[in-house]
Amino acid sequence: MHVGLGHVVLAGLWGALATLERRAFLQAMFSRPLVAATGMGLILGQLQTGLYLGMVLELFYLGTASLGAALPENDTLAATGTTAAAATMAFQTGGGGTPALWSLSLLLFAGLGLLGRAVDHRLEGYSSRLSVHGLELAEHGELERAVRQNLWGIWPYAVAYFFLNAACAAVGLGIGKLVSELPLLALRGLAWAFPAMASVAAAVAARGSHARNAAVWGLAGAVGMTLWTLVLAWVQG
Amino acid sequence: MIGPGTHLPRSVLTRVFLRSLLLQASWNPKGMQNLGLVYALYPALEILYPEPEKRREAVQRHLTFFNTHPYVAAAIVGGVLYHEERIAAGEEDARRVTEFKGALMGPLAALGDGFFWLSLRPAAGALSAALVPWLGAWAAVLFLLLYNVVHFTLRFRFFRMGLVLGDRLVEAVGRARLPTRGARLRAVAAASAGAAAAYLGFEFGAEQGGVGGWLLAGGCLALGALSYVLAARKVPTAALALLAALLAGCLGAWL
Repeated sequence: MHVGLGHVVLAGLWGALATLERRAFLQAMFSRPLVAATGMGLILGQLQTGLYLGMVLELFYLGTASLGAALPENDTLAATGTTAAAATMAFQTGGGGTPALWSLSLLLFAGLGLLGRAVDHRLEGYSSRLSVHGLELAEHGELERAVRQNLWGIWPYAVAYFFLNAACAAVGLGIGKLVSELPLLALRGLAWAFPAMASVAAAVAARGSHARNAAVWGLAGAVGMTLWTLVLAWVQG
Repeated sequence: MIGPGTHLPRSVLTRVFLRSLLLQASWNPKGMQNLGLVYALYPALEILYPEPEKRREAVQRHLTFFNTHPYVAAAIVGGVLYHEERIAAGEEDARRVTEFKGALMGPLAALGDGFFWLSLRPAAGALSAALVPWLGAWAAVLFLLLYNVVHFTLRFRFFRMGLVLGDRLVEAVGRARLPTRGARLRAVAAASAGAAAAYLGFEFGAEQGGVGGWLLAGGCLALGALSYVLAARKVPTAALALLAALLAGCLGAWL
């Protein structure tokens, strides 16, 4: 399958939409890593890659929340950007999504959450100016224009996150060929790194659940799943 | 005298509710959700205040600082309409609506944060993530369903409560027992995360096969437990993930 500019644009569009849903409209959780990354994978034809990256990032960011005026890491950019890069890399390698490739994407794009937070912080300055302008317009009786300032707050996020997600997809395209040239030893190491990172993410999630006795509940879940897996293995011989 | 409830046309109420979904569109550190609130209320203010000067005053009193949880804000938006109707009819002083917002936005924000952000979302997220191996991409759909059935039902009910009850909405919201339900949901989140940790270890261990597979599965479980302890001691989670990747990567390459 040929990949190129079309995939980069699609990645940018989905990333921008997910960010708008997170930031400006609805907040119905289409922007959560599990949904946003799965959607990105589906759009770019690498569903499994999106699903597994989304699962790990959902667990990793489970306990983060925007409380009051606090600005958390941008889990949506982390999910969409990492998945966009992993999907385009998978196309370039020709082998589809593998745990080794997912690990590499997570490691290379680990800073996207922080980058997103920095971008959000910068864009809040623009929204503050809109608020001041809205007050001035209301003072002069231009009420329709004053209330519409609310909508002007949307477009900078759409533009910024379109380009950031498109850039991630483009970087994935660029380095995809190099990945297929990695030695087998490195690929095996990266394949082992994925479940290790996923386990850490699940532990971070249990911790970030804010449950009273989270350790006990987490342990109960782990023991239950272990028993279930062992019983299944025994039944299937 | 205005009786209980609202007398605004249904079409206007629908527009206000739909526009309240854009409450955070221009969230800013100065007024926070002030522009979003005025944007949501404006269709009703246009009806309530035909005179430009009165309408300008109404818009200005809602352009002041406002910040609460975006879902629970629906209750305040409804309550503001309740008060604005009475202010427009000359039955209340304009200060009542400002006091109403000021008194409720903090407590309702705490309630919304605690239930939606810190309980419902982690529970729906962890449960759906743990079900990815069985449901595949449907796990993402399940997450949206689990979350949004509760989210939109409560958001709409909060709006109705505000409209009909005004200040008395506090008692009605209290009866929803959100903190108690939140505590149960947080336990679901922790248990699901634990199950996901165990499953991932076994799944990838089985793919590896042989002694290496058992080592990978056991190692992942041990790493998960160790990470929980270290995260509780405030070790940065990103550093934990990187260290785990390094350790497992070296072992995987070596074995």
